[in-house]
Formats: sequence, C-alpha cells, structure tokens
Amino acid sequence: MSKTTRIEPNLQFVKELQEVGGVDLKKCYQCATCSVVCPMSPAENPYPRKEMIWAQWGLQDKLTNDIDIWLCHNCGNCSEQCPRGAKPADLMSAMRNMAYRKLVPPTAIGTWMSSPKYLPILAGIPATIWAIIWMIRAAIKGTFFPLAEDGRIVYDNLFPGDFTIDPLYGLTAIFVVICFGLGIKNMIDGFKANMPTTFVIGYKKPSILQAIIDTVRYDILQHTRFNDCVDSSEDNERVKGHQILFYGFLACFIVTGTVAAFHWGGKVITFIAPLVHTPMPLWHPVKILANIGAVLLLVGLTLLTRRRLNLDDKKYRSNYYDWYLLGVIWVVTLTGIGAEVFRLSGMAPLAFLTYYVHLVSVFMLIAYLPWSKLGHLVYRTTALIYARYTGRLPIDEKLIEDDKIFVI
Amino acid sequence: MASNSILVIGGGFAGITAALEAAELGHEVFIIEKTAFLGGRVMQLNKYFPKLCPPSCGLEIQYQRIKNNPKVKFFTLAEVSKVEGSAGNYDVTVTIQPRHSAPNSPDLSELCSALTSETPSDFEFGLTTRKAVYMDAPFAFPQRYVVDKASLSDADLALVAENEYLDLSEEARVINLNVGSIVIATGWKPYDVTRLTNLGAGEIKNCITNMQMERIASAFGPTQGKVVRPSDGRAPKKVAFVQCAGSRDENHLGYCSYICCMASLKQAQYVREQNPGADITIFYIDLRTPGLYENFAAKILADEKVHAVKGKVAAVEQDKAGDDVWLTVEDAVTGTKSVERFDLVVLATGMQPSLAENSLPFDVPVDAEGFIIGGEERGIFAAGCAKQPLDVMKSAQSGTGAAMKAVQTVRGR
Repeated sequence: MSKTTRIEPNLQFVKELQEVGGVDLKKCYQCATCSVVCPMSPAENPYPRKEMIWAQWGLQDKLTNDIDIWLCHNCGNCSEQCPRGAKPADLMSAMRNMAYRKLVPPTAIGTWMSSPKYLPILAGIPATIWAIIWMIRAAIKGTFFPLAEDGRIVYDNLFPGDFTIDPLYGLTAIFVVICFGLGIKNMIDGFKANMPTTFVIGYKKPSILQAIIDTVRYDILQHTRFNDCVDSSEDNERVKGHQILFYGFLACFIVTGTVAAFHWGGKVITFIAPLVHTPMPLWHPVKILANIGAVLLLVGLTLLTRRRLNLDDKKYRSNYYDWYLLGVIWVVTLTGIGAEVFRLSGMAPLAFLTYYVHLVSVFMLIAYLPWSKLGHLVYRTTALIYARYTGRLPIDEKLIEDDKIFVI
Repeated sequence: MASNSILVIGGGFAGITAALEAAELGHEVFIIEKTAFLGGRVMQLNKYFPKLCPPSCGLEIQYQRIKNNPKVKFFTLAEVSKVEGSAGNYDVTVTIQPRHSAPNSPDLSELCSALTSETPSDFEFGLTTRKAVYMDAPFAFPQRYVVDKASLSDADLALVAENEYLDLSEEARVINLNVGSIVIATGWKPYDVTRLTNLGAGEIKNCITNMQMERIASAFGPTQGKVVRPSDGRAPKKVAFVQCAGSRDENHLGYCSYICCMASLKQAQYVREQNPGADITIFYIDLRTPGLYENFAAKILADEKVHAVKGKVAAVEQDKAGDDVWLTVEDAVTGTKSVERFDLVVLATGMQPSLAENSLPFDVPVDAEGFIIGGEERGIFAAGCAKQPLDVMKSAQSGTGAAMKAVQTVRGR
C-alpha cells in the first residue's frame, strides 16, 4: 500500500487567520486565477492558490513555513480578479500578520500587537518610562521645562542622551536585533524543510553574497519587484508612497547614525564631537538631510494613507497591523517635526511635551519592531535573499526570452 | 374585455414551443420577435444537445407547425413598446420596424451580389460581413429578405430603389393586441467578451468565443463548416478551451451558465472529427456535466488527444511575432504555472439574460443578473433562458410549462 499522509487540520488556526485579516478565505473554490494574475508567482508551486487551500484546511505547518507569503508584495491583482471575493491578497497579508505574531518569542508582545485592545499596554510602557525620567529630571532641575543657560531649548537638558535615550534605545536595539536573529533562523529552518522546488533551466545559482547584493540593489533600493506589481495608477501611488517613505526612513536613519557616531566617537577622538553636535543649526548638512527625511516621510505617509482610505472594501480590507504601523509613523513624523518647530520658536512647554510624545512613539516603533508590520523589513528581506539564492523567481518575460524558465 | 389570447415575447426555441403548445390547445397566440427571423440562438448553432442535431432538425418542424396553424401569428423586427391592464386583459402595443421587402418571397440573391457595401454580420458574430439586403439565417423563417437601410451606400441605394420587390418608403408600424396572458421568452446573449480584459477582450484574432466556434463549424457559416483559425484559415493543431469565461465570477456573471462545459466538449469533437492530429486542452474550474451528459463527457475525454486541466485561464496574449495565442494557467492539481502556446483558443463565454441592462417596457421583476423571478400572479410567465441558463431541451420544456400556465390563466376567466 502506498504511504498515506494524514492531514491534521488545525481549526483554531483557521479561525485565528480569519481574525487577523483572512475573513473571506473560505469562499475560495480553487480556480487558480490568483496564481496566474500574480506577477510575482513562480512556475513551480505558484502562490496564492495553494495558500488558500492550506488555509481552508488549517495546515498550519505548511503556512507558517511558507516563503511565498513574503515574496508577495500585496499588489492585490489576485483579489481584484478573484471570481469569488475570497481576497487571496488579504489572506497573504493575514499570514504575514500571523508571522509577526508568532515567529519570535516573547509571543506576549505578538499578542499585544495583534489587537487595539492592548494599545494601552504598548503605549503605556514607554509613556511611563519617559514620564518617570521627566519627573526625576524635573526634580533635579527644579522645573518641568528646563532651558539652557543661553535660554535656548535643548532637549538634552531634560532627557540627557548619555544617560537616558542612548542606553535605553541601545538596549532596546540589542533586544530587537536578537529577536530578529531568532526570527531569521526560524524562517530559514522552515524554508529548508518546506520550500518547493523550482526548475529554472540554466539559472546559475548566485552565491549568498551575490544574492544579498542583488536583493539590496534591486528589490530594496530600486523597488524593482514592487514596481513589477504595478498595473494601475493606484498601484503606482502605493509603490511611490512606499519608496518615498523608505527613503525618508533611510535619511533619518543616516542622521541618527551620524549623530551617534560623532557623539560617541567624539568621546575617543575628541575633536570630531563638535562637528555634529545637537541641536544642529539649520544649515548643517546633517540637519538638512534630517529635514529632507522629514518631508519625505510626510509625502510617503500621505500617499499611503490616502490609498488605504480609498480602498474598495469589496476587494481589500486594511487590518489593524496596517493601521498600527501607519499611525505610529504618523505620530513619530509629526512629533519629530513639531519638536523641531516648537524648539526653534521657543515654545518650551509645547516643545518638551511634543518631544516626550516623540520619544514614546519612537519606542513604539522600534521596541516592538519584530512583532509589527515593519518587521517585514527584516523578514521580507530574508525571504527575498533566500528566494534569489534558491532560484525561486517569478515567470518573468525576460527570463522566458533568455530561455531560463522552463515553459511548456 | 377579457381575452383568450396569449402573447409570447421572443421567437427562439422556448418562445416558439410555448406558442405552439398554447395554439394547439386552441388559443390565439402572438409571437413578437425582435430580429428579422425566428429561431433565436439555436439557429446560430452547428449542433445542439442532447442529440447533437443540426438546428434544422428541430426548428424546421416547428416552422411547419407554425405555418400549418392559423392560431399562431408572429411579427418579426417587432418589439413590445407598452403593456397596460391586468391578468386576463392586457392591452399590448407593438412597434414593428420596416423590412422594406414584399411579403411574397422573391429570390434577391442576384441583387445582393450586385451590392457593394459590407456590414459586419451580427449573425456570424462579426466573423464575416453581410450585404445591406440580406437573409443571413440558414433556412430562414420567414423566407423574406431584409433591407438594412442605414448601411446602404449611394450606389446600393440606387439599385435597391429600382427593385420592384423592395420598398424603401415603408415606415415603422404600431399595432395593438389584446391578450389574457404573457409568456416572456427573451432568451440570452453571449457575455460581452470586451469586458474580459485579461482574456484578450475580443481583440486577439485567434481567440474566439464558443458561439463563434459554432458558426465556424456550421456548414452554413463563414468557412462552410471547416474548423480553421480566423487569422490565416489554417486548420488548428493545438486548441484550448477556456471555461468559465465570465461565468461563476462575481465580477462578471455570478452564476454557472449550465451548458458551456458541454459545449466545449462538443466543440472538441468538431475539431477532432475534422483533424485527427489535433490536440485539445480544456481548462476548467469544475467540469460540469449535468445529468446524463456525464456519459457524453466520458466519451469525449476517453480520446487521448483531449485533455482536461483543472485551472482557470487568467491571461491570454497574442504572440509577439505571429498569430498564435499564449495562455497562462496554473494546473491546480500538479501546482504548475505555465505559459502555453496554442493555434486557436476558444473562450467558453457564458449566457447573459437578454434582459440584463435591457429591461422590458413593463413591470417584470428580475434579479440582479437580469433573470426573471416573478410575475406569475399577474399572468406573466417566463420561459427558457430568460429565467435561468438552460440547454435547448430544457428550454423547450420550460416553454411548454409556461404555455400551460398561460392557458390556465386565460381559461380561468
């Protein structure tokens, strides 16, 4: 007798998937339109049709180790053309949400990130920490809004970088990096065990280094794959919005990195410390970059938020993960700009209060990163590198012309 | 005044059947047909289920019965423009467009061949053209030419004007009928392929619809029954059928059109009978073979050159260099997405009720798709595909049923 595989459906998992965004997954009747209209889907074991049936059957193992949920860039072609309104794109996004929730311990944070009812905890932690620091500093300084000797507003007076911000965020960053490391390991172990084979004739497997370089160069910096998903002006707005937001983040990241490098490097090589000392004047190149970053963030956020607000409810549904991330980035951006504007205009109470909210929201962005939608910056990158490395590529016209992909 | 007569809207298979059944029970019946000839969609088929007869075998008998029964009166190029009254007593206004030809049946083929202007033929689904004076249905009933005045060129106009059997001055007429009950047999239309943008939107030469395939396979059609592809007249070696082209899709037709799977199996047979080397693939979501049709499906699929693949085609593209057609499809059983080249692709486009986006000038309840869902209490009965997608046999049966109810309505008074 042939070997039989016993399918063990996890019905609870199906319910959870429906809760995190895959409400309509049971409507699917497996016509395979989705796999065909997906511009990213490869020839062998394409997605998202197979994910739909795995989800219906509650095959948790298959789904949680599935690389394809990260290769999907959520263009929504599948949901748009789905004859049943089963919304495969929403299921793919629901499965990513499930990964944010469960891929990395402590899963308690995953649970807190999954529903708005835990928002008070998520906001409460940094709000309390920074409030306590504020109280202590106020007691030392004798005022809640301490000004510098020359009367300027200098945030370092209230929240000294060396003793509060840098150690706190430094530790948080180390925690996040460890968690991500764990996540990457879990992902790759899962991929190895479950990854479907792909036939790409003549495709030379790149070295892992080359795969990383190509992923960063094409997929991340140029958004090449993302651009392949475009077939309407709304899609274009989405890619533009994402790319602008990404570059805004990159600018702010470079600014923060430079400031930290000069500050801490300045402790050793003392003469460089004053070169990038906060608060910087507006003409300072690093400050200019920071302000450009802020403007990019605002533009990107506007494009992405407008698109989400205009989505056709019958085709796509935005979920809590989408709104949490957009919301937090909005608060970070607005309070960041506000802190600068109020500081320059000398409105001390407002400036300090805005800066406080900024610190809280930055914590909410960074500390919960592996469990938030922003985690895709690590998880998706990992999957994209792995896909390049193993040759799991879309049926691409270029590849067909080059006779690299096997076509019947 | 209470009336014993019955109005039948639509002169296709269901309408004709309803009219004859009621007339043979002694009731006066009026058939109102919008086009120039009776016979409806069945006239356009090459063969029809269940026995795979050509349309002549069913329709010619029906036409004989109409000719022999003075109780049946029919109007072509006619449309109901107003209905007033209630069950047992309806006043119906009918507008009849001019045919411009004499009631006897002269042979005008010589005149037709002398005409110069050509118009895309609706009867042939645009596969060929017709003249401005035409009788495009095979064994047309009535055997009378029609003049399409708007399509006449100046030269044609002169030729037609001097023909003694044609009368260009004829005007539209309005008649009034008094009936007791109404049967609606307005039938269906093929779903508009231009809406199927991912399936080529009707712009790919060798990607045709299933109804076009019927015309190509018909001995009376544009290729005299030779199954060839439109672009170069070559017999196709590799043919694909794309099922559910518009059907079972909430973006298009939210229901199964009932007969398309069978139609594709039947058309696979057309190809295989003519071309023993031809290879055929039917791409489907579910191969639906209602009732006894299962046996027919088994017979066709036993042919090793006929393949059935579970997976809906979602992309159709013209070859960049030639006339071939590329399909992208995932075989959902093996989980392989492939791009495949075919000589000819047939879209199994679904049935859309004629009343979709085209309502009658009186109150008839229809569902969101345009199928009739009521009216019985007012002596109005639906027959055939106006009510739901059906094959010819079941359409005829529903025509008989509707006639029965119409008769009961007028007899009860």
